[in-house]
Amino acid sequence: MRVFFRFRVFNPLAHVWVLLSFLLVCAGCTDPEPSTSPLTDALDRSVVVPDTVTRVVPLAPNLTELTVAAGGGDRLAAVTVSDDFPPAIVDPLPRVQTLPVDYEAIVGHDPDLVLATDQVNTPDDAAPLQQMDVPVYFFSFNAVTDIFEGIRTLGTLLGTSSQAEAAADRLTSALDTLRARTASRDAPRVLVLVGDETLYAFGGPSYVNTLVEAAGGRSVTDHFETAAPTLSEEFVLDAAPDVIIGLFGDDYDTRQLARLHPTWDVVPAIQTGRVYSISPDLVSRPGPRVVQGAYRIAALLHPDLDLPAPPALIE
Amino acid sequence: MRTALLSLGLLGALLVTVGAALSFGSAAVSFADAYHVVAYRVADGFGASSPLDVPDPIAERVVWHLRLPRVLLALLVGGGLSVIGVAMQALVRNPLAEPYILGISSGASAGASLFYLGFLPPLLGQALSMPLAAFLGGLLSITIVYLVAYTGSRLSVARLLLAGVAMSALMASVTSFITFSSPDPGKLRAVLFWLLGSLSGTQWTDLVWPFVTTASGSVLLFVLARPLDAMLIGEESAYHLGIPVEALKRLLIGLAALVTGALVAVAGAIGFVGLIIPHAVRLLIGVSHRRVVPVAFIGGALFLAWADLAARTLLPEQELPVGILTALCGVPFFLALLRRGSYGFGAP
Repeated sequence: MRVFFRFRVFNPLAHVWVLLSFLLVCAGCTDPEPSTSPLTDALDRSVVVPDTVTRVVPLAPNLTELTVAAGGGDRLAAVTVSDDFPPAIVDPLPRVQTLPVDYEAIVGHDPDLVLATDQVNTPDDAAPLQQMDVPVYFFSFNAVTDIFEGIRTLGTLLGTSSQAEAAADRLTSALDTLRARTASRDAPRVLVLVGDETLYAFGGPSYVNTLVEAAGGRSVTDHFETAAPTLSEEFVLDAAPDVIIGLFGDDYDTRQLARLHPTWDVVPAIQTGRVYSISPDLVSRPGPRVVQGAYRIAALLHPDLDLPAPPALIE
Repeated sequence: MRTALLSLGLLGALLVTVGAALSFGSAAVSFADAYHVVAYRVADGFGASSPLDVPDPIAERVVWHLRLPRVLLALLVGGGLSVIGVAMQALVRNPLAEPYILGISSGASAGASLFYLGFLPPLLGQALSMPLAAFLGGLLSITIVYLVAYTGSRLSVARLLLAGVAMSALMASVTSFITFSSPDPGKLRAVLFWLLGSLSGTQWTDLVWPFVTTASGSVLLFVLARPLDAMLIGEESAYHLGIPVEALKRLLIGLAALVTGALVAVAGAIGFVGLIIPHAVRLLIGVSHRRVVPVAFIGGALFLAWADLAARTLLPEQELPVGILTALCGVPFFLALLRRGSYGFGAP
């Protein structure tokens, strides 16, 4: 009873203290940053990024990989709960949730810059962070060149331009090499699937078709106007792909696909056993490893081709 | 005479529908090829050494293994949901009742997704099959809705609809939650399937449970036509006519959960079929269940077969969940029906 009473007496005073300290903190955060420069991101938003960025929080795993490739691995303050690469860098780091965005956790890591991509988050998601003076820079990856350009942009943002330029150049030339090596080959008709039961695939606007083409294949889904069409089973029967590449992981039993779609027994890829499954992270995650993904696809399409190892930017 | 004409017309419409569903789709199969396949397979099925040529293997797969089971499932699901709508409307004496609106479909979805994603305790998981889990989910949902709506001696329609909406929302969040928290990477597919409904990828073996439950349920409702007619006048009158009202109500609820559960397990939650079709049928041929049950079955079957044909042809070479289309047609209809106020099956 006595304790309860004391609490009530002290309560007003406590309020004053909380209020005072709150005002002090707020006065601190409205102070302008030492030096800043306004930039325009991929969504045409104007973002004020401090000149020296030491604490970065990427809101998607591909942005983490791109940051590391651009030479900013040591600037990462936290990564998302879905991050798994490169393990040596991301495993010790704290995790934040991004779907939906855990604002408190992000602000708690005191970032100078938050990286976002319109594939995962919207500019509206960024508004609360901007309100708290945390700049959010958006990337958009539609073509493979956007990925390489993203590395260069990150170099500018983080002040690691020389490293980033070198990385982007190496990836570009590795993809050019692959194109040159497969150019003389007959291009098989290729179907890349994301789902084995519901047939999610990649339409014309997706960069995945560029990877298939660089690997010496012809995508059967590049005429779709949407980036992520859901195919009908009839379409696959009609398109008759020579090779099916599923992004179902390295451990996937490829016979499962024929079990789920018994009518496909006449599809050339099923008849000749050219159904493969590779790690989705190499293809559907628009980051520096898409070049490795293209090399992996090329090795499946043209097994007799003697290819050099793709550049491993991140060990 | 009029009934004979109507039956003939519906039979013709059914044939035209199946014919259209077999002929159109993303793969280019000509009419001639489509019927060649059907004729060949039917002759083959009767053991006759067919005089016909062996059809093109791709056309055969498209027509016989993709399109035919799918249109048959559309007919079963549409017909089943429609007659269950008729039964629910007789049960609560209101034309707004329907398995989707009263929460049976979303309860069945929740049961099916709990089973599919392996979230049930192992002992329970082994004892159940997916249709059974869907049945139990639907039964739980409609029982709660019914108990909430039942005040003293009568059923409050406002409470019934509100409780149905609330249970639908609750069960949909259960489905979303378990799919969201599942480690299965195909979870997006699962949640879309059970929330929106789709007939994509139907195989012949998928037809067994929907056929058994829908056929026996429809026959049972047809046999019960007279007691159902009596229910429309009022429970008290039905009781005085010697009908065991309480037993009939329990039977109807159980039947609705059973058929809806079997249909949702293979097709997801497809809404509003049981609302539009019985209403339209009553406008055409009156309220007698001896005619309403069979005509509503065929009407629902036709409606869903056409909706599914639209779902797989609107976007070329792609699939749309058919539940989107039935909701697009059904919701304006539902609102108009609400606006018209109560209509008492012809009797005020």
